[in-house]
Amino acid sequence: MKVSLKLFGTYRKYLPTSTQGSICSLDVLVGTRIEELQALVPIPTDENLVILINGRTPLAGQVLEEGDTIAIFPAMAGGCSFRRD
Amino acid sequence: MYGWNGKLLRVDLTHQTISVEDIDPQTAKDFIGGRGLAIKYLYDEMDPRVDPLSPESRMIFATGPLTATPVPTGNRYMVVAKSPLTGALTCSNAGGIFPTEMKRTGFDLIIFEGKAKEPVYLWINDNKVEIRLAGHIWGKNTHETEDIILAATEPKAKVACIGPAGEQLARIATIMNDKHRAAARSGVGAVMGSKNLKAVAVRGTNYVALAEPKQAKELCRKVQTEVNRDVKKGSSLREYGTAYVPVVTNEIGILPTRNFQTGVFDGVEGITGYVLKEKYLIRAKPCFGCPIACGRMTRVEDPVYGGEGEGPEYETIAALGSACGIGNLAAITKANYLCNELGLDTISMGMTISCAMELYEKGHLPEEDIGMRLGFGDADAMIEMVKLAGEREGFGDLLAEGSYRLAEKYGHPEYSITAKKLEFPGYDPRGSKGMGLLYATSNIGASHMAGDLAYMEVFGVPKKLDPLSIEKKPWYIKHFEDVFAIIDATGLCVFLSIRYLFDPTFEVMPTRLMELFNYITGAGYTMDSLLEAGDRIYNLERMFLVRAGFSRADDTLPSRMLEEPMPEGPARGQVVELEEMLDEFYALRGWDENGVPTQEKLESLGLSW
Repeated sequence: MKVSLKLFGTYRKYLPTSTQGSICSLDVLVGTRIEELQALVPIPTDENLVILINGRTPLAGQVLEEGDTIAIFPAMAGGCSFRRD
Repeated sequence: MYGWNGKLLRVDLTHQTISVEDIDPQTAKDFIGGRGLAIKYLYDEMDPRVDPLSPESRMIFATGPLTATPVPTGNRYMVVAKSPLTGALTCSNAGGIFPTEMKRTGFDLIIFEGKAKEPVYLWINDNKVEIRLAGHIWGKNTHETEDIILAATEPKAKVACIGPAGEQLARIATIMNDKHRAAARSGVGAVMGSKNLKAVAVRGTNYVALAEPKQAKELCRKVQTEVNRDVKKGSSLREYGTAYVPVVTNEIGILPTRNFQTGVFDGVEGITGYVLKEKYLIRAKPCFGCPIACGRMTRVEDPVYGGEGEGPEYETIAALGSACGIGNLAAITKANYLCNELGLDTISMGMTISCAMELYEKGHLPEEDIGMRLGFGDADAMIEMVKLAGEREGFGDLLAEGSYRLAEKYGHPEYSITAKKLEFPGYDPRGSKGMGLLYATSNIGASHMAGDLAYMEVFGVPKKLDPLSIEKKPWYIKHFEDVFAIIDATGLCVFLSIRYLFDPTFEVMPTRLMELFNYITGAGYTMDSLLEAGDRIYNLERMFLVRAGFSRADDTLPSRMLEEPMPEGPARGQVVELEEMLDEFYALRGWDENGVPTQEKLESLGLSW
């Protein structure tokens, strides 16, 4: 089923090159949960990021629905993650 | 002393006298510096009921103990005074290079009192201080002013100055430094103008002493390395500046649109960071000692909107853009340049124009008063309003009073989207509830920088909170108000501090900030004593407000936020449940139900009326 994907900030670079604006279309299997989404998008898995579904904070285990708009952006705008070694 | 210079400069403009005073080390430790130390002096020396534009009013330039140290982003100062816009306190923050240079003259603070008989500027060349005539510069914009003063002092000097707006006591006037950086909110430029003080020029060659230089520099290097690594991977602030934010706030449905009538702007893709980058960016620009470089040097090549300078920032794009229904980034950028040259707060200017637009469209503000049409979306009219306000000409004279006095004059103060008469910044609190509590309770009025919980509600830094929930928000706002007071007192930039000097947990504790602070100053803070210092600063500011006549009745929001549900978007149907949060907030603060600090609370912080 089709959902919309918006990538903001430095994640823009993961949008298909022909994209107008910040939004593109994504095909996902029915029943895909929010936790499975990151694997479908070419953003490195060690990133701290924010995911919104239709502009709202998703619930754990939330299942995507046809026509949902998913927005993803880095959680740390100045830098991508805070690591204490 | 380490970190602190331990000295302040007192400038009596009435009597044209200059004196140097020592700062008591224990006082410095109790109030940290910057905003904290400044409120201590202001509270002790000034009657909070005084007219902010009178000679009795005091204005303090305050650097922090970490300003001009090797700490990345140790480059900030604050201008602290009673505000002519709000009647409350203001502490306006700016970066650039001026604050570092000021700290290196050997003075932590400059306290201005009185009023000069004619326009003057102050020239501090290390420990040589002169008051010089400025009649020939009065009337010049901030860029011309800096050029003239540098030619008359020293090319390596740094300048903070007002433009025509501050000279003419516009209540939304800024103090600009290094031409493009602004101590912006609450009309500090008018306070400076009321003293006939056109500018402060500084040249400093001292170095700040460090208590434990080896440890300090090592930790600084570590932080620097982390930032550099993140920038290399991809930093939205480096690549796009704060201008990347409009699409984010729009996505959550909190981008101020048409005077906060809604939080969704359909022109958002035309005014966001990648468009700025593609069309107008010359290069990223850092403040002194900053590895992030979120500043934008830009140029617009256009017959109508042409210009060059720094910006626009997110707040400017929201206030002069979406809040005015304007989706033309060139026009917004031009308005930004004009605000900087004239010395106007882009947030208050934009939100005052958007208020005028709503009054006009609803038939409460006649076209003949304005001199032209002023509907939402009219970019050329918006730019004309900025020019008029900057010189207090025509309708600009009223715009310069800010949105509350404007809306009140036309019988509809409810269209002024302000708290304590300070215009809201770029987050509609109906979709970011913590921000609603912040705007209502901040000691300067609706400022996001007084405790920016948008970091967590919107950006997920260091952790994500649900912006639509009010759960635990009173705790978070109290905590953020205290830790932002600490950051403002140290002289660091929030962009670095909140990301790299705070623990990445829901408790958001400033562990590395404390470590750095102790290495630099040798002050021996514990986490408890550091947090207590933030609480102390906040409470002393509140005491100033109480004595100035503020109470619970002023800890409120416009009826639009409390009673008009957000009409569309992800925050649709929401209002700010302020009353529910306020009682819990007062209890956490140790205040009574009128928002007054209790005797017990004050004693625990070593404060007294």
